[in-house]
Amino acid sequence: MTGSAEEQELKDRLRLIENMIIEGQQTTQRWGWAFVFWGVAYYLAIAWSTLGKSEWAWPVTMIVASLLAGILVSRKASKHPGTTIGRAIGAVWIAFGISIFLLLCSLGASGRYEPHLFVAIIGAMLGGANATCSMILRWKMQFACALVWWTSAIIGCFGSETAGSVAFLLAIFFCLILFGIYCMVSESRKRGLSGRNRDEAHA
Amino acid sequence: MPDLPELNPVIHGKLRLALLSLLSAVEEAEFTWLRARTGSTDGNLGAQLMKLEEAGYVAVEKKFVMRKPQTLYRMTSAGREALTEYVQALKQLLGAAIKT
Repeated sequence: MTGSAEEQELKDRLRLIENMIIEGQQTTQRWGWAFVFWGVAYYLAIAWSTLGKSEWAWPVTMIVASLLAGILVSRKASKHPGTTIGRAIGAVWIAFGISIFLLLCSLGASGRYEPHLFVAIIGAMLGGANATCSMILRWKMQFACALVWWTSAIIGCFGSETAGSVAFLLAIFFCLILFGIYCMVSESRKRGLSGRNRDEAHA
Repeated sequence: MPDLPELNPVIHGKLRLALLSLLSAVEEAEFTWLRARTGSTDGNLGAQLMKLEEAGYVAVEKKFVMRKPQTLYRMTSAGREALTEYVQALKQLLGAAIKT
């Protein structure tokens, strides 16, 4: 083997190590479906509570959605390896879910629930969860979602009930549905790249 | 000129190097996930993982999840040390190749 061929071989080995480490780290990022799922669940709950005028719309939709999400996550988790970053992000969302569930159930049961408070609480907490994840992942797009959620929380506090509701509906559309679709598209692109890494592992 | 380091032959194989690099980024990984990431066949993957296990670089755990058998692999501290040394040796060799 010539000197330059040896040098190329060594560089290929280094690139392979780098690509495989990135491949392993990227396993935490395939969660685009979850954003779309929760966006649809929120819209269903809003439609049911508005059109059906039922006070059970939110608790029932959220409990069913949580159970469904739990089943889907446990199925996916058994196929994918755990990473420290994945565990950190999972912890943020689990803590968010428990906090929001306890808070809204308590507000509902105590009779102190009101729409402004609802938008302000969900907006602020989703803003916090998205901001934390964006800082862990160093992901500006998710931080932009956090800003949208925080804005909806502020509108919920200062604006009229209609303004708060519109801000909340728009935040769901941009930060759950659209952001989820964006994640899913970028995840499928990354899967294409990982195909190239597989070829390198065999070359 | 200082002595150039030798590359660890256990890690040097491309598939074994890919496996160890993948495992360095995760806490533990299932056999099927490693197969999907590397595009390897069951037989080849099993053989390479066994070599890494014999060298003490990976640890294996077999368990049942929802009545399905699952084989989990994780990198040991010896494996992490060996991969770090391998990368350092690679860089040293590359530096020497550029200088000559």
